[in-house]
Amino acid sequence: MNDSGSLLQVNDVSKVYGTGHTAVTALDQATMSVDQGEFVALLGPSGSGKTTLISIVGGLLAATSGTVTLGDIEVTALSRKDLTRFRAERVGFVFQSANLVPFLTARENLLYVATLVKTPKKAAQQRADQLLEELGLADRAKNLPEQLSGGERQRVAIGRALMNDPDLVLVDEPTASLDTALGRQVVQLLRREIKDRGKTGIMVTHDLRMVEYTDRVFEILDGHLTHVESPSTLGH
Amino acid sequence: MGLAGAEIRRAKLRFGLLTGAVSLLIFLVLLLSTLSSALVGALVGALEGLNADGIVYADFARDNIAASRMDPSVVTSIASVDGVVAASAVATFTTAANLTGAQADVQVFGFSPNAPGAPQGLSDGRLPTTAGEIAIDGGGATIGDVITLDPAGTSLTVVGLLRGAQFNALPTMYTTLDTYAEAFALTNPGLPFVPINAVAFDVADGADASAVAQRISSEIPDVTGYALDEAVALIPGIESISQSFGILVGLTFVIGIVVIGFFFLILTVQKLRPFTLLRAIGTSTPRLAATVASQIVLVVLIASLIAVGLTLAAVQGLNTGLPVTVQPSLILGVVVSVLIFSLLAGALSIRRIARIDPASAVGAR
Repeated sequence: MNDSGSLLQVNDVSKVYGTGHTAVTALDQATMSVDQGEFVALLGPSGSGKTTLISIVGGLLAATSGTVTLGDIEVTALSRKDLTRFRAERVGFVFQSANLVPFLTARENLLYVATLVKTPKKAAQQRADQLLEELGLADRAKNLPEQLSGGERQRVAIGRALMNDPDLVLVDEPTASLDTALGRQVVQLLRREIKDRGKTGIMVTHDLRMVEYTDRVFEILDGHLTHVESPSTLGH
Repeated sequence: MGLAGAEIRRAKLRFGLLTGAVSLLIFLVLLLSTLSSALVGALVGALEGLNADGIVYADFARDNIAASRMDPSVVTSIASVDGVVAASAVATFTTAANLTGAQADVQVFGFSPNAPGAPQGLSDGRLPTTAGEIAIDGGGATIGDVITLDPAGTSLTVVGLLRGAQFNALPTMYTTLDTYAEAFALTNPGLPFVPINAVAFDVADGADASAVAQRISSEIPDVTGYALDEAVALIPGIESISQSFGILVGLTFVIGIVVIGFFFLILTVQKLRPFTLLRAIGTSTPRLAATVASQIVLVVLIASLIAVGLTLAAVQGLNTGLPVTVQPSLILGVVVSVLIFSLLAGALSIRRIARIDPASAVGAR
C-alpha cells in the first residue's frame, strides 16, 4: 500500500501531447485513489482523456507530470523495461478490440500470459482451466478467437486479465461491441471475478447503464477528472 | 508455449508455401553452384589438382597448356632457378580410345611419378609407376580394364581411378612420361622429338611460388611461370564461366533473401494488432523479435533439408556427362549463408516490432 492507504493513488497526473502552440492537454492534473477490492467506473465522452488516464495507470503511457503508485510501486518512475514487466505481473487488461491473440486458442491465450511471469506449467494449466470453467468457457477452451462469439471473446479476455493474479484490472469499453444484454452479462461477470478475488478494477465506459455494477464513478471532461458523488444524476 | 510454433501450426498453408519457395531457391543455388563447380572441375580439374606449387608454359601458349610446346631440356634449366626445389615435365594431348566398348575422345597426361606434376584425387587403386599403366577420371572405366589408344594402338591397363582430375571435360588418363611419349610418337609419326607442354615445379616450404614463377619468367627465355592458382585462373574461358555462374547463383541468392525478408515483413505488418496487444500485456520486444527469428530459422532449416534432398535427387537424375558431386562444404556454406542473411532480412520485421507503441492497444495514441 502507498502512504494514503489506497492500493492505487493517482496524484496530479497530466499528459500533454506536442509542444508550444500545438500542445494539447489530454489529461489535466488528475487525482484519484482506489482501494483494494473496489471496482470503479471512469466515464466520459470520446476524447475526454479517460483512455489516456488508464494507459498511464497501466504503465502503457508515460505521464507528462504527476505520479501514479500501485501498492508500493511508483509506476511513473519505472523504466521502459520495468514497465513491460510491471504490466505482465501487476496489471490485467481487457481491451475494447484486438483483445486476443488470433492464432492462439482460448486456453492458450490464458497460458501465454503465465509464461510472461514464468508460472510453472502445471500450475498455469490448472489456473487456466479453472478460470475458463468459472467463465463458462470450459467447452470453448480449444477454440480460436475467430470461432468464438463477441461475448465469449470478452470472457476469454477477462480470464486472461486475471490469469497472473494481478493487483489491478483495467477494462476499456468492454461492452462496446456487444448488445445490451450481453454487455450486462460481461460486466456482471467482470464485477464478480474482481470482487471474488479481491482485485481492484477500473472500467472505462461511456455506457451509463453499466455504472450500477461499479462501486464508485469518476468522470472526465476535457481532461479534468472528477469524482461523481451521485451517479444517478449522470446523463440528466 | 511458443508463439512461433503455435502460429506455424495454425497457418500451415502460409508457412508451407513460404518453405516451398525458399527450398526451391536454395535448391537452385545448390544446383547451379554444383554444376558450375563440376563444369569448371571437368575443364581444368587436371590443373587444379596438379601436385605442384607452380607451372611454366611456353610464352606463345597464351596461358593455355594445350597450346604450349617446350623442349624437354628446359626442365633442367627451370630446376636450377633459385627457389625451385624440384621440377618435372608435364605433357598432354587429345586422342581417341576404346573406352568401355565405345570409341571416345580422351585427354592423356604424361607425368613423372614422385615428382611435381603428378595428379591428385585418387579415389581407388594407385597412380601408375611403370610403363603401360594409367590412372583415369571418367569414361566409366574400372580398375583392371585395358584401354587401347587410337590410332596409336597402345594398350594401357587401369591401375587407379581419379576424381576431379579431368581436362576439357573429357575422360582424362594419366600415365608415365615414357608411355606418354610412345603413344604420342605413334599418333604423330615423324616428329624429331616428343615435346612437353609444361614444367611443374615445387618451391621450398613457406616460399612464395608466385615470386619464384616470376624469377623463372625473367631468367629463362621464352617461358612464363605462374603459381598454380594463378595458372588456373588464367585458363581461357574459365573466368567467364565462373563469373556467369557466379552472377546466376548470386542473383538467385539475393532474390531468395529478399523474398524471405519481405515475407516476414508482410507477416509482421499483418500481425501488428496482435503484436501490439502482446506488447501491452507485458511481452518484451526481444521476446517478440525472438519469435520472428525462430520462425525464420525453422523455415530456412526445413527448406534447406528439402533443397538438399532435391539437389541430391537432381544430381542422381541429371545426365550432364560431367562428374557432378555435391560437396558437403557447399551445402553447409549455402545453408549458413541463407540463414544469416535471412535473419538480417528479418531485422526489417524486428525493427518494425521495436517501433510498436503498446499504448496504441487502448487507442491512447
